[in-house]
Amino acid sequence: MTFKTKLYLGFGILFGLFIILQVILTMMLDKLDENMDGISKNYQMVKLANTIQEELSIFSMDSRGLIANPPEKFRSELMNGKYNALKRANSAIESLRKLDREEKSQKLIKDLRMMNKTLTKMEKKSDELFATGDTEELTKLYWYKSSKVREQMTEKADELQNIQVKAVNNKIDQSKKTYNLALKMVSIYIIAGLLAGLFIAVWILRSITFNLNKVTSVMSRVSLGESGRLPRIKVNTKDEIGIIGEAFNKMAESIEMQAMQEKKLKHSAEEQSWLKTKVSEVSNMYPGIDHLDTLAHRFIMKIAPMVEASYGVFYIKEGSGDEQYLKKAAAYASNKPHDIGIEKFRLGEGIIGQCAIDKKMLVLNDIPENYMKVTTGLGMASPKTIIVMPAEFEGEVLAVVELASLKQFTPLQKMLLEEVMGNIGITIKSILRQMQVEQLLQDSQALTEELQTQSEELQMQHEELRTVNEQLEEQFRQSEQKTKELEEVREILEDKAKQLSLSSQYKSEFLANMSHELRTPLNSLLILAQMLADNPEKNLTEKQVEYAKTILSSGNDLLHLINDILDLTKVQQGKIEVNPEAFELTEIKAFAERRFIHYAKKKGIRFYVELASDLPKVMYTDSQRLCQILNNLLSNAFKFTEEGEITLRIKRADNQLSIRKDDDYASSPLLAFSVNDTGIGIPKDKQRIIFEAFKQADGTTSRKYGGTGLGLSISLEIARLLGGYIDVKSIEGKGSTFTLYLPDSIHDKAVTELSISKHEAAATLLPDASQSPEAPVQVDEISHYPKEEKNLLKDKKILIVDDDMRNIFALTTVLENYQVKVVFAENGKGGIDVLKEHPDIDLILMDIMMPEMDGFEAMRIIRQIPECCNIPIIALTAKAMKHDKQHCIEAGASDYISKPVNIEQLLSIIRVWLYQQK
Amino acid sequence: MEYLGNEYTSFLRPVDNLENIEIALLLEGIYRYYGFDFRNYSIQFIKRRIWHRMRTDNIENISGLQERVFHDPKMMEKLLSDLSINVTEMFRDPSFFSSFRTKVVPILRDYPFIRIWHAGCSTGEEVYSMAILLYEEGLYEKTRIYATDINGSVIKSAQKGLFPLNRMKKYTKNYLEAGGTRSFSEYYIVKHEHASFHPFLAKNIAFAQHNLVSDQSFNEFHVIICRNALIYFNKLLQSRVHQLLYDSLSLSGILGLGSKESIQFSGIANYYEEVDSVEKIYRKIK
Repeated sequence: MTFKTKLYLGFGILFGLFIILQVILTMMLDKLDENMDGISKNYQMVKLANTIQEELSIFSMDSRGLIANPPEKFRSELMNGKYNALKRANSAIESLRKLDREEKSQKLIKDLRMMNKTLTKMEKKSDELFATGDTEELTKLYWYKSSKVREQMTEKADELQNIQVKAVNNKIDQSKKTYNLALKMVSIYIIAGLLAGLFIAVWILRSITFNLNKVTSVMSRVSLGESGRLPRIKVNTKDEIGIIGEAFNKMAESIEMQAMQEKKLKHSAEEQSWLKTKVSEVSNMYPGIDHLDTLAHRFIMKIAPMVEASYGVFYIKEGSGDEQYLKKAAAYASNKPHDIGIEKFRLGEGIIGQCAIDKKMLVLNDIPENYMKVTTGLGMASPKTIIVMPAEFEGEVLAVVELASLKQFTPLQKMLLEEVMGNIGITIKSILRQMQVEQLLQDSQALTEELQTQSEELQMQHEELRTVNEQLEEQFRQSEQKTKELEEVREILEDKAKQLSLSSQYKSEFLANMSHELRTPLNSLLILAQMLADNPEKNLTEKQVEYAKTILSSGNDLLHLINDILDLTKVQQGKIEVNPEAFELTEIKAFAERRFIHYAKKKGIRFYVELASDLPKVMYTDSQRLCQILNNLLSNAFKFTEEGEITLRIKRADNQLSIRKDDDYASSPLLAFSVNDTGIGIPKDKQRIIFEAFKQADGTTSRKYGGTGLGLSISLEIARLLGGYIDVKSIEGKGSTFTLYLPDSIHDKAVTELSISKHEAAATLLPDASQSPEAPVQVDEISHYPKEEKNLLKDKKILIVDDDMRNIFALTTVLENYQVKVVFAENGKGGIDVLKEHPDIDLILMDIMMPEMDGFEAMRIIRQIPECCNIPIIALTAKAMKHDKQHCIEAGASDYISKPVNIEQLLSIIRVWLYQQK
Repeated sequence: MEYLGNEYTSFLRPVDNLENIEIALLLEGIYRYYGFDFRNYSIQFIKRRIWHRMRTDNIENISGLQERVFHDPKMMEKLLSDLSINVTEMFRDPSFFSSFRTKVVPILRDYPFIRIWHAGCSTGEEVYSMAILLYEEGLYEKTRIYATDINGSVIKSAQKGLFPLNRMKKYTKNYLEAGGTRSFSEYYIVKHEHASFHPFLAKNIAFAQHNLVSDQSFNEFHVIICRNALIYFNKLLQSRVHQLLYDSLSLSGILGLGSKESIQFSGIANYYEEVDSVEKIYRKIK
């Protein structure tokens, strides 16, 4: 039975019961209603019977009243009353007759009707009697006849009433009975209905909840356990629960299916991810491997445990052409690679070789007992499976891997192996290529280095050869030169002898003329100036006298200069005669004091002359010349000293300088005459040039101190004549010491020769940075350079291009000292012209800032002249201009030097650029 | 030596090139007797130099040379000078110095004190060049250059600071190309046929004899210049010397190699980064 039917049935039964109850109740109520109707009719009839009695009594009363002869006034009233009462009794009887259909009552009612009619007739007779006045008769009639009827009638009414009361009582009884019955029935019925409803409800509820419980208990047990099975509902009803159960079972089934599929999918996904992880793990290992053996080793070490193999060998194909073979590169489960596996297979040899040809994976099962054993510490066992796999790249087998396992390889492991073997081919190939490239690179690097060593060796050999060559050349040159020199010297000597006499003659004449020509007007000039300065007639202003004095002193200077020049020329020509004589050194002291003590006092300077105690008493030299030199040195000292003291010391020289070895006076001890002052001193770099003609330490010196700048030159020349030299030591601002070294005796015969041959040698004794105590740089090495040093510059032609004549003059002076021929131009254009005129120019000194055409442009143009593109050009740049240097080089300068020019540096740089490989 | 370890063959069939054996014996002998280790020098180089010596002195075979070398120290001296190639010049490869000036000097500026090792300095031209460069960059006062060479006589020569005049034109050109900021002539004075470099350039240079092959590191340096020394060595010795240089460099130190040299196959290439790959200037990074 379905739920629906059950519910319909249950509720239908309840509904039916309810309707039956309703019907019964209605019937009962009808019955009660009917009884009530009867009762009310009976009650009406009772009332009617009562009314008859009442009316009879009223009739009797009225009739009696009439008998009692009432006053006229009441008579009619009574009469009417009497008749109305009868009429009302009659109508009551009539009503009764209609109402009461019962036989007994009907008979009574008929009697009553009869008697009522009798009574009515009697009344009428009474009325007539009354009207006749027969009173007796009337009373008789009334009392006897009518009363009898009335009594009968009352009796009859009573009887009727009784009947009706009896009937009412019956009916009430009956109603009571019916009510009781109805009550009983309803009660029974309700109880029965309730019971039935209860029963049905329980039955329905029970049947529903029972099945539901069954379903829910199954459902609540639902969970997908390991088994993947779901509980089922036993369907044994066909109701809705049954349907639910069936639906649930279907659902469970499909869920189970789903779960199973899912599980399968998950499993395969896990396998895939394992595969992928392992594959990537293997391929992640590849980068950074740069050697095949490393690759093989790492690969086999990685892959064997991954597939649970207990033995593995990696073979790599080597060789080419017919000589291809597979060589073992790495092995797993072996400490030494030689432990297991055969070393080498040719292609096609054995399974390994075959695999390389077939390019297919080979799986060997059922390995015989006596095959190789997998050995552990506890024993050994034959492997179950052996797998041999090729690693290919573009169809070429590059390697073969063999693995043995105690178990069968699972399909997944095989898949992994296939995948991994598929990948390793390309890695092997790329490593091979990389190795090739690296090998090539290494080879090329080795070759480059080899080339470099060879080039260096060659360079060195070249250098060595050149040195040897130079030495040979030098030797050759020297020997050649020696002979040449000898020849030349001979010729020159001859020539010189002639020339000398001639030229000296000319020169002397010229100089004599000159001096005379110059001195004569000068003398007159001086005399006149003197006269003017004296101003004997006192007609000149002070200013004018001052002017005259200036003319006088300048003229005197000029005179001195001319004298000096004459002296210098004479000395340089060797024309000065040396007249050695013996004299006492005290004479020198006397001379100096006589000459200068006065002057010293005037100037406020202390002046001392000191003679050392160990001096020889007598000296043999030209005393006049000696005095000239000392005079010169002392004059200088006084000129440049404003305060302090000046000392002339005469003593024996401490050191015998090496230069004198080849001197004629080597045997003679040297005497040192040193003039020591506390004057302005001479800067180190100027100490050399002060000995040069027309030079003073400072360009401005002449203006302040006057003088020609020839004094020292002359002194030096004379010193040389006397076989000595002059040395200077000075600290700027502190003072100077000029020392004259002279041999204490000279011979007459050597004097004339000396003047020429010692010229050069003496010049080198000029103070030089390298010889000062502050810079002791390889004195021994440098000391033998000087003789050749001049060779480098000698007879070279240098072009100076500068717009400042002073520079040209200064540079020329320096360079001519080194016997350099100097030509010059005052701007770039002129420089180029000069260059064209003198194609033999060896070097150009080029100033940059010049009018008309500057140095840059000049250099550019010079470099474009084909013959001139190799001439060294040294640019003179201003120090401040930093970029000038770069521009100089770009314009074609070989090198540059900053202004103001350091002479030493200039000479160095000229030597570098004039140096020529012989 | 592997040659000596070979088994004796009764058929008198040579198992190796005789020249190789003789050279190996000679070098081993020189090492054992004189202490000079040329065993790991580039074999080609050694061959050429030995043959050079033999040609010069009219010696017929290497065994003959060996006899002379062992019994005549003068011959050893000659051979020694043959084997030490002292080719150098001032501002050699000017682009190297130019690159050093622009790329390395800015790094050095931050150091309070700079130690430079010039390994294989030969006659010192490049050392003076470096001194000039640093002087012009205002770094020389805080710099100390350790200039070493295997050859004691070239060290002596380097100390003098005298360089032949005939090369000065080339040096001037190099100086200009290397980006010199002053005039080259400021640094020297010509004396006879030599240019004498100012003593102030040498005041922070320490010259010493040091053998890259056998000696160990003697300090930690900010800059190591080792140019054209490694080319004479074979691969094994090259990597050993590279290790020595690496060990002697401070972190972030600069290594300068010769233009034809490379750290690529030395095995320690990963420890350097390139500062200038063309000029072979590297910087130690770990």
